[in-house]
Amino acid sequence: MLTYALLVHAAPYSHQSALSALRFAETVVARGHRLKTVFFYHDGVHNASALMSPPQDEVHLADGWKRLHEVHGAELLVCVAAGLRRGVLDTSEASRHGLAAHSVEPPFELTGVGQLVDAMLANDRLITFAP
Amino acid sequence: MLLHLLNRSPQSLSVYRELGEAFGADDHLLLIEDACYAALPSASAALEPFGGRVSVLAEDLASRGLAERVSPAIAVVDMNGFLSLTESHQRCVSWF
Amino acid sequence: MTTFSDMETVSDVETVPQDLLIVLRHPPHGSQWLREGLDVALVAAAFGQRVGLLFQGDGVYALLKDQQAGALGQKGTHPQMAMLEMYDIDMLWVSETALAERELSADDLMLPMVPLNAEAVAELFARHPRTLIF
Repeated sequence: MLTYALLVHAAPYSHQSALSALRFAETVVARGHRLKTVFFYHDGVHNASALMSPPQDEVHLADGWKRLHEVHGAELLVCVAAGLRRGVLDTSEASRHGLAAHSVEPPFELTGVGQLVDAMLANDRLITFAP
Repeated sequence: MLLHLLNRSPQSLSVYRELGEAFGADDHLLLIEDACYAALPSASAALEPFGGRVSVLAEDLASRGLAERVSPAIAVVDMNGFLSLTESHQRCVSWF
Repeated sequence: MTTFSDMETVSDVETVPQDLLIVLRHPPHGSQWLREGLDVALVAAAFGQRVGLLFQGDGVYALLKDQQAGALGQKGTHPQMAMLEMYDIDMLWVSETALAERELSADDLMLPMVPLNAEAVAELFARHPRTLIF
């Protein structure tokens, strides 16, 4: 068994890469490996949007990521700097910035790039999916 | 020994050139997403620098209507094969 | 004028592997790739990792002198480049091919760089335990 971390740069529904990342993540756990961390960076932060509402006959990316957290314990980390710029933020960041709305809910967590460095050091593999 | 993931069509010349520069003698290249188009016989020149150490992802070929058009020189792998490549290669880099 | 072709070809000493290699392939201003790649380099260095940078392809344009903040309010990446030294990021490599293709020489660049031929670029990838491409 190996431990995996994924780095996701691609926005959902703009590029296949976000779907490729989810498909890869599901295969990691199906093969009995441990998916410890998914780090969303660049436009990938939009994968964490709680407001994502794709048509019913399309894959729901945020739900797919959440399932990996709920069933397999993968942590879903969103870069706070990349997220804030793009309007992807949770309740505490929203109140810190005096904003009425937020778009990130647990189990997605806003964190710093330092957590990406940690994930790189702590896991056997880091696989990047970019648009 | 690195696994290189590539997702751009062979029309994106610069990424192929830069990957060619980085590609080591024991490395392996996996074509995913739009890089599947590099697995067609017409694009064989784009893959020359990689000395036959190239695979392509079956699912992405099939969705693009390329399953029957893929060059016989290229190994076709499914998602399990993709995973196996990441198991056998300690390090993986992505070109986009 | 010093050109890279006048310089000695790289030796092992100049490709000493760091903990993390960040490869920068995108030019400044047009996209966020360069900026967010440099952010990872600076944060990793702040976390005590030894970080090396390789500028490849259009990424070499990150090194051009005389860059400015954008008229559209973009900060640009030259302020981050100026911070590298403060973060002890001093292993700075550049693809010789990328410079030659763009008719650039050492005089055009804001920082002193170690030029690498194609073989040395492959060696750099082979020898680093961790690599991220932006």
